[in-house]
Amino acid sequence: MKKGIYEFMNYFPFLKEIIKRDFKKKYYKSVLGVAWSMLSPLLMMIVITIVFSTLFRRTIPHYPAYWFSGNLIFCFVFDGSAAAMNSMIHNASLIKKMKIPNYFFCISAVTQHFITMMFSLIPYVAVSFVIGVPMNMHMLLLPVPIFMSYIFTLGLGMFLCAYGTFLRDLNYLYHVVRRVWIYITPIFYPIDIIPSEFRFLWDLNPVYVYINIFRDLAIKGTMPSEKMLIVGTCYSLLMLGLGAVTFKEKEERFFLYI
Amino acid sequence: MLEKNNNRFANSDICIDVNDISVMFNLSKNREEGVKEYIINMLKGKVGYKEFWALRNISLQVKKGDSLALIGRNGSGKSTLLKTIAGIINPTRGTIKVNGTIAPLIEISGGFDRSLSARENIYLSGAMHGHTKKYMKKRFDEIVDFAEIEKFIDVPLKNYSSGMVSRLGFAVATCVNADIIIADEVLSVGDAKFRMKCEKRISEMLSGGTTILFVSHSTAQVKKICKKAIWLEKGKVLETGTAEEICDHYNQYIKSTPSKPRKLAVESGSESRLGRSKIER
Repeated sequence: MKKGIYEFMNYFPFLKEIIKRDFKKKYYKSVLGVAWSMLSPLLMMIVITIVFSTLFRRTIPHYPAYWFSGNLIFCFVFDGSAAAMNSMIHNASLIKKMKIPNYFFCISAVTQHFITMMFSLIPYVAVSFVIGVPMNMHMLLLPVPIFMSYIFTLGLGMFLCAYGTFLRDLNYLYHVVRRVWIYITPIFYPIDIIPSEFRFLWDLNPVYVYINIFRDLAIKGTMPSEKMLIVGTCYSLLMLGLGAVTFKEKEERFFLYI
Repeated sequence: MLEKNNNRFANSDICIDVNDISVMFNLSKNREEGVKEYIINMLKGKVGYKEFWALRNISLQVKKGDSLALIGRNGSGKSTLLKTIAGIINPTRGTIKVNGTIAPLIEISGGFDRSLSARENIYLSGAMHGHTKKYMKKRFDEIVDFAEIEKFIDVPLKNYSSGMVSRLGFAVATCVNADIIIADEVLSVGDAKFRMKCEKRISEMLSGGTTILFVSHSTAQVKKICKKAIWLEKGKVLETGTAEEICDHYNQYIKSTPSKPRKLAVESGSESRLGRSKIER
């Protein structure tokens, strides 16, 4: 444990550099650069609102903010974990030549998407201000669901990376999973359309739990239920534990496959 | 497996202790990278690998301030041994203890990102050695100066010539104050003048107590830089001794082996016989 912390501190400057590098590479030669992480959800929001507002406007108050918040968390969890899955392959040139703890590349991949999410929060706040979502003190607790989803994404990313490094097909499969996942998560539709006897199934979806906590705080302006908070924390910690253990077990053989 | 910065050495002189290591790679004819192929192969019972031992039962100890050369033909396991010592590859069997920090310079561009500029790479590389940006800023000018790349400092490395990349790599690795430097073929692409500069730098570092592991195909260079040498052949240590002695034997061996084109037909037979006779000696 002590050795692990020492190692982490020793390579901390590296983590900073590699995140910076990933960020720079992402917007390499694009004119608007980082503005895209604010623009693209905003444009998507406009489209989705036009398409679905007639369907759900009456049942969902502040529909644009509703969709935006759901999309924000979902995209972070999915894109972050997908990037972490490929992080070994993308950084093969470094991994093969330097001794760096492998999990740093997973952290870097997830953190990079975390930063993107932070940028996307700016238009989110602007939108909720414009459409008149009431501001309240509960918004100060928003880092809680965001932090939970970060831990979950890191765990999921490490878990996927442990297998995705050996089996590249997982990458394609995961994008199919994305389709299914985005539909079973109430991002653009209200949970009310699900019959109440089946609603417990939706609690099994960690992303929905985080989105729910986020929406409670940011749109409804209420404290999320304790059950939600406990379930969300458990999902995060269990996923991180599972991811870390699997990663540790498999990482010795990574260099043979990258 | 790899113990760093631990003072558990009875004899603190020894900074690299390689104890009977073997490294195995899986050579499978069809590396399963797809679910379909994997399942098909599994059903056929063909997931088994062909084992390939890149290193077999290597033991060596390097003292602090020593200069050790690894020589041998392509594919003899030199780079694998260096990577194992650097901690990039975990040995399949055996243990390695390293006392001190290592700056590995493997295959010219030791851990550079080709899409980044030299400036960014210097900081990235420094961070990989655990140095903060502040520390690297102090050494920055020295590195750029040594590598002679002032003009191209903000050009992405992919546009560099291999000589320029190797110069930068060497400059960074020797400026980060590592206890052990691993130089794998780094000097082979630089021009004569730069090579002289590097040799001078290496001898300065050696007298300052840095340990150097050196791989080169130029026996003249090995003789000039290193005191000791190890001759690897097919993943085994063939001979150890002073650099002079080993280089001479190696040169003799190179001259005595038949040239490549003719070898194909009799490859395994003739070579392994030669190898065996050397071991017995």
